[in-house]
Amino acid sequence: MTTVTDDTERLRPSAVTAKDIARAGVTRRARDSRLKIWVGSICALVVILPVAFARVLPLPSPDATDLGARRLSPLTDGHLFGTDQLGRDLLARVLFGGQVSLTIGVLAVVVSGLIGLTLGSLAGYLGGWVDTVVSRLLEAQLSLPLLMMLLLVVALFGSSIPVITFVIAIAQWPEIARITRSLVLVEREKPYIDAARVLGLGKFATLVRHVLPNIIKAASLVVLLLLAQAVLLESALSYLGAGPQRPFATWGRIISDGQDYITTSWWLVTLPGLVIVLMVVGVNLLGDGLRDRTAGSSLRGFLKKFRPNRSGA
Amino acid sequence: MTQQLAEPASVGAPRAAPVGKKSVLRAAMPRYIAKRLAQSLLTLFLTLSTVFVLIRMAPGDPAYAMAGPLATSEDLARIRTDMGLDRSVFVQYLLYLKGLLRLDLGTSYSFQAPALDVVLGRLPYTITLAVAAILLTTVIAIPLGTWMARHADTRRELAANVVTIAGQSMPDFWTGLMLLTIFAVLLPILPSAGFTQWSSLVLPAVTVAVLQIALISRMVRREMVNSFASPYMTVARARGVSQRELTWRYAMRNSAIPVLTALGTRFASMLNGVVVVEVVFAWPGVGSLVVRALETRDYPLIQATVLVTAVLAILVQLLVDLCYPLLDPRVRLGKGTN
Repeated sequence: MTTVTDDTERLRPSAVTAKDIARAGVTRRARDSRLKIWVGSICALVVILPVAFARVLPLPSPDATDLGARRLSPLTDGHLFGTDQLGRDLLARVLFGGQVSLTIGVLAVVVSGLIGLTLGSLAGYLGGWVDTVVSRLLEAQLSLPLLMMLLLVVALFGSSIPVITFVIAIAQWPEIARITRSLVLVEREKPYIDAARVLGLGKFATLVRHVLPNIIKAASLVVLLLLAQAVLLESALSYLGAGPQRPFATWGRIISDGQDYITTSWWLVTLPGLVIVLMVVGVNLLGDGLRDRTAGSSLRGFLKKFRPNRSGA
Repeated sequence: MTQQLAEPASVGAPRAAPVGKKSVLRAAMPRYIAKRLAQSLLTLFLTLSTVFVLIRMAPGDPAYAMAGPLATSEDLARIRTDMGLDRSVFVQYLLYLKGLLRLDLGTSYSFQAPALDVVLGRLPYTITLAVAAILLTTVIAIPLGTWMARHADTRRELAANVVTIAGQSMPDFWTGLMLLTIFAVLLPILPSAGFTQWSSLVLPAVTVAVLQIALISRMVRREMVNSFASPYMTVARARGVSQRELTWRYAMRNSAIPVLTALGTRFASMLNGVVVVEVVFAWPGVGSLVVRALETRDYPLIQATVLVTAVLAILVQLLVDLCYPLLDPRVRLGKGTN
């Protein structure tokens, strides 16, 4: 099959040379998006892997204070990132704190994804008053400076990991709900929905079994961007003193601890911040690259990958 | 047909209908304004109710929090009656709304003054910072986004693209601390903290603007790329309109509405950034106030901050929305483009 189509393509006379194709905007965009995906994955993994394996790595305990070795600059005495004002190893603090930050980020994205998917798809699919209520709620929330409200919640309910996760999830659900709603609005007009209805499938069964599987791939691209935002929001909360204290201080807290020594010990603020930036830039680049991939090419890649399996099974 | 096409001299930009008093005040406008006002009031009401529910749901006894650990049980009972805590939740809610209508948000524990007055005293500083950041964002993001759209998918644009991604990936408090290290510690050319002279405004405003510039310029780029691809642009180009005029008079005018919407909705999230940045630079605004209130568990003060900033954001968005009819005749004539 494929060889035949390739032959006709080669034989057809065309004024477009290979060079033109290589220079075209679409080709460039495809190449750039591949570059973004690669660079993004590497940046994110450089942070995520050490954080995930912090327990296995030969690191001193992040809580072991050594008042004789206070504020050592990086690369002295085997402290790669130096030590902080209490003589704790900064790299260990950043990695163990990162475990808490990333856990909160991932959990928050999962929770906000569930809330957003449910409400967004219900609003798009059912329409009517459900849509009105959800849309109004979305607009209301997006037009408010939410950080004050989040600080109030943390002040009232304490800064435990579940509270912070919930708070971040609440801040993020409108994003995913809005996208899900718009995707469902397009999808519900398609003929297969009518077919499902003719076959006697109920409204919710159609939504769950036919509509959701068709939009989940497009909706899941947002997850990466949300993860980046969640990590940033968590670091801002913990910088302001509304972050989790146990088991380990998170990234924002480490930076706010270090800022009193900014004139003498630059690394206490700079290095943890660079770790956050590296990770978030990586995730954002990855998300951006995946989104930029033209719909056609990703679909073809997707089919190529899965067709042999399907016919085999 | 051909005759019409043969008169290119008289065909200029798609001219907006003259915005006179009459056209702005046409029948559709009052309805549009009324709708927007109703939405704003609804948002405000939702905010107030959420704050009430949160405070009611929180663990701990508010009377105890107010009276302190040394209060006797009679004191507690008296405070409960004073605060209306012995009545039903619904009555309490009505009392709460009544207090709000009289602008009574309770007394700040740490300042021993009406919480609203404390917040309003700090508000001008926050607004100054926000306005400076918005001006900076507009001046940089719109030309940058336009440049990116005109050079879409080139090597240079990829570089700018990566820079904006980096800009939206930096935690704003860290950006602030880095700028502080460079421009106040290493090269002491700008004041580092507080508000003593106007140059104190530079570092906080730049810090807040970094994220906004990154986001808005990407938005402008996307809108302008769409505008450039529209058929009316091809027609205009075929008529020999200069590139500069194409960009600013044709594409920009059609991208203005989504960009303005973005600036309006971003204002709320920009206030979030302002809060954080105020703490970094010890800016005497609402943000540093709320963090102090957080440390002292000063609930009335946090609540007043929530409400005041919410009202501010809602007002700004209302103003932005009321500007649409000046830019887009379709809104003016009641044919919303939703």
